[in-house]
Amino acid sequence: MNLNRILALLKTAKLGRTLLSTRAGKELSFQHPHRCIQSSSRSLAYAKDLFLGKVNKNEVFPYPEISNEELEELKQFVAPVEKFFSEEVDSKKIDEEAKIPPETLDGLKALGLFGIQVPEEYGGLGLSNTMYARLGEITSLDGAIAVTLAAHQAIGLKGILMAGTEEQKAKYLPRLASGEHIAAFCLTEPGSGSDAASIQTRATLTEDGKHFLLNGSKIWISNGGMAEIMTVFARTEVLDKDGQKKDKITAFIVEKAFGGVTSGKPEDKLGIRGSNTCEVTFENTKVPIENVIGEVGGGFKIAMNILNSGRFSMGSACAGMIKKLIEMTAEYAGTRKQFTKKLADFGMIQEKFAIMAQNVFVMESMAYLTAGLMDRPGVPDCSVEAAMVKVFSSEGGWVCVSEALQVLGGIGYTKNYPFERYLRDCRILQIFEGTNEILRMYIALTGMQYAGKILTGKIKEMKKGNVGVVFEILGKKLKDSLGRTVDFGLTGKDGMVHPSLTESAKMLEQNVALFGSTVESLLYRYGKTIVDEQLVLKRVADTLINLYAMTAVLSRASRSISIGVRNHQHEVLLANTFCKDAYFKNNYWMIQLQKNSPENNDDNIKKIAQEVLENRAYICSHPLERTY
Amino acid sequence: MAMRPFSLQKRCHFIMKASRFLLQIHHTGCISSTVIPGVNRLDTQLCYGHVPRWLHCSSAFCKSKSDSTDLQEIIEHEIEKKTKSLVTHDELFERAARDAKSKANFNRVLDTFNKKDIRRRGHVEFIYAALKKMPEFGVERDITVYNKLLDVFPKEVFVPRNFIQRMFNHYPRQQECGVQVLEQMENYGIMPNMETKVLLVQIFGEKSHPMRKYQRIMYWFPKFKNLNPFPVPHELPQDPVDLSRFSLTRIANDLDAKITVYQLPSTHITEAGEEISHPHIVGIQSPEQRTLLAKHNPSRPVFVEGPFPLWLRKTCVHYYLLRADPIPPEEQIEEELEPELIGPEQSLFYPQCIDLDLKRDLGDDDSFDVDDVVEGAVYAMCMTGQGDQATLAQWISGLQENNPILGQVPTVFRLDSGFRELQKVEDIHHDSEQNQHSGAEEEHIIEEEVLHSQGMKR
Repeated sequence: MNLNRILALLKTAKLGRTLLSTRAGKELSFQHPHRCIQSSSRSLAYAKDLFLGKVNKNEVFPYPEISNEELEELKQFVAPVEKFFSEEVDSKKIDEEAKIPPETLDGLKALGLFGIQVPEEYGGLGLSNTMYARLGEITSLDGAIAVTLAAHQAIGLKGILMAGTEEQKAKYLPRLASGEHIAAFCLTEPGSGSDAASIQTRATLTEDGKHFLLNGSKIWISNGGMAEIMTVFARTEVLDKDGQKKDKITAFIVEKAFGGVTSGKPEDKLGIRGSNTCEVTFENTKVPIENVIGEVGGGFKIAMNILNSGRFSMGSACAGMIKKLIEMTAEYAGTRKQFTKKLADFGMIQEKFAIMAQNVFVMESMAYLTAGLMDRPGVPDCSVEAAMVKVFSSEGGWVCVSEALQVLGGIGYTKNYPFERYLRDCRILQIFEGTNEILRMYIALTGMQYAGKILTGKIKEMKKGNVGVVFEILGKKLKDSLGRTVDFGLTGKDGMVHPSLTESAKMLEQNVALFGSTVESLLYRYGKTIVDEQLVLKRVADTLINLYAMTAVLSRASRSISIGVRNHQHEVLLANTFCKDAYFKNNYWMIQLQKNSPENNDDNIKKIAQEVLENRAYICSHPLERTY
Repeated sequence: MAMRPFSLQKRCHFIMKASRFLLQIHHTGCISSTVIPGVNRLDTQLCYGHVPRWLHCSSAFCKSKSDSTDLQEIIEHEIEKKTKSLVTHDELFERAARDAKSKANFNRVLDTFNKKDIRRRGHVEFIYAALKKMPEFGVERDITVYNKLLDVFPKEVFVPRNFIQRMFNHYPRQQECGVQVLEQMENYGIMPNMETKVLLVQIFGEKSHPMRKYQRIMYWFPKFKNLNPFPVPHELPQDPVDLSRFSLTRIANDLDAKITVYQLPSTHITEAGEEISHPHIVGIQSPEQRTLLAKHNPSRPVFVEGPFPLWLRKTCVHYYLLRADPIPPEEQIEEELEPELIGPEQSLFYPQCIDLDLKRDLGDDDSFDVDDVVEGAVYAMCMTGQGDQATLAQWISGLQENNPILGQVPTVFRLDSGFRELQKVEDIHHDSEQNQHSGAEEEHIIEEEVLHSQGMKR
């Protein structure tokens, strides 16, 4: 055990050093992304490798850390922000008036919160993803502010930051970082929500070839009413290789000052009411050709990268909110008495707090693991991980808020207390930045594609009836059924997991092994038509999310116990509880994915839905109806 | 006790597989004299009748008594003639039908028959005759009339009283007649009610054939009643516009399809005193049809075809189609989606397809091998009170408002004369005036029509 601890310590120290050097490297990579040598050599694939039944333990163990200097720096930022949010932000007023007061916005600007990730040379704070996530925990205490800030910097100005030219950055970033200008991200259209292929906004080149004329309208634009700078995606005509004209999507930086930009009435929303969401219409807006982000026709990749990179922070944001909620709810449960007993003494109330704590712990672990992975040198593709964080935390957040409300009873339901606002604000998390359904598809299909590429040859051999391959598989199955324990080396002598988490680590290993063979059989069965099997993919995605969550908590708890952070035994408890829960859930889902599984109800589910949707109504007769 | 020798005799006949005819002789010969005392004796032990009542009359019909005297006279007259054949009962109804074929008259006939003879002599023949006459009197869908008809059977006489009777076909002719009544109800889709059940129990007993028939009907009818996913009401809407609306939505079976009334039926009288009637024009088109039409190649014609029949129970209505020929393969343009937008690892949110060289496994391929027959698209449908070209042209110009492409597309009218034979008898008069141009020489007409329609476009 000692040896283990030392080993882990050694590794963390090593990682800390690499991280330290990373920051400099990352800033460098912002400026010259293609010059970064490491970008091509290193491709991170923890989640994707799980599809092959592999645990890439070196990617996720030990849990990523930030250096002491960075921590100090971060603490300096966090303290004033926390103070500001607790003292000067009146969330109730923001919610009622559906507007963030200018003083509050000025305060946020003064704290530098509009340019958290903008490099220091452009006037931003230049923080890493990890540190951004930490600040997100605090800003999320008010949903409207969190969404306003996220729309501004997580997606609004990300395009310039990631793919803009030096001139564009110099021209726009300083004023955006200071908050003088607010940014918005204009992608969604009335006819194209998730379906980016049907974007109708069009940019046509003027005759002099120096400008694009932008026409079309975008809906649900966060900050649409107050943004001076917008990242707009539109169709442009591009000559392809064969010399044929084709429509491709291009990203533009559009200033409101260009003219022809009108924003509609702010939408009256259920939650995050203080944030501004409206329709934005472009009518012959003249955009100079220098304002194209990336190259003409390359807007698609940019949009994808922006969206993929913006999601990870939702985990910490959610966690921040629930942590606050736990405090408030626990106080109530500790003071209110019923039947001469405190609420906190009732088992069913206790369970709710356990659920909340567990969810926060998992969210946090996943969010900071992902942020840490993203902060590593190179351009690691963490889109699947980020999507998993978003799905897990948005759903976990909803469950927690709902449980908290249950504890609070009537108090939670009235407008006199902030709880109902949390519930309303929280609901949007499952909807925006790609709905959870779409992200599940993304998670599952990305992994399936990755695994499919590698397994195609083997599966084809099997289908052809190659005796060798068949025997190999049969042998493997036989070995598995004889109770051969799976060992990916997470535990034991060279293991990365602390011995007190051995059992959970074993569960993870077993799950991963089964997941690998499940994916293989799914590919065997469905091939490329798996795209149409949404219910199958949903389970694949859910299992993967749980696997990633188990990894995150194991990694985090191992680190905590090894370095002895305060209350690490609580972390171990939470980690073990979560892993056990997730293990059985995973097993159940994977059994459902087996062929002819009696647990699988998909056919019925599809049939029910089909019958209902054909009639567009609930079709059962009323129970009081008679036939004679 | 007089019953016993008779029943034994009957059994013997059965065992010997004697024909029903033989049995009937026994029935007619013995029934009146033998049965009644036996039943009378049983009367006190009966479990069905809670209320003391007249033997041959169900509790339900005791009160309803005919006030008709002339019918009674007729019947007395009949009895005098002492004819027992079916014809006489037919006559009974025919005479009653002289003033009016109504429910009241039909009931009166039943009442008079019930009153004329306490023994209900010849009731089986009478019931058969009545069943046959029911549609004539328009009571074939009336459950109360059926119950009244069943009430003609004498009660408790045919109820088996021991296991041997129960085992064999007790009073087969009567039972069969009872089954026939139920059968006719079944054919008209009339569901028996509680009263029917009570009557059947009183007449034939719990486990008789009519009772079984009743049980079977009661098992299946409720199940069949709501089986049709596209129910047609018994009473169709009277207004032609409403009828068209109903029929068109029924054919289209598309919740998005929108009905447009292009013209309401109206009649004008011109200054010259001529009567000009405008027929109704009701059309239906779904958004999908509209987009299909918008993509139609303007150099190819669209066709107005019809009339096609649609049966709604016993009514036949006609509709017209606006359709095109199937697109020849060389003209079919595959709508290509940009691979970048749908491809793997590139799609904005999630890939619409993944790039794998693996097909679905045969064991998981539940799809059927379906041959798709290519057919021309149907762009719209309409119904009108007058199927001539002028009226249909009005429909097309109405459609043009939402489908501007129709202004550029040549419209060809291909109208059949098949209208007449398929319409209801009453409608024929209207029709002969309406459907003037019959498609005698179709080719000729089409050519003419092409010219006409092209000339018609502004």
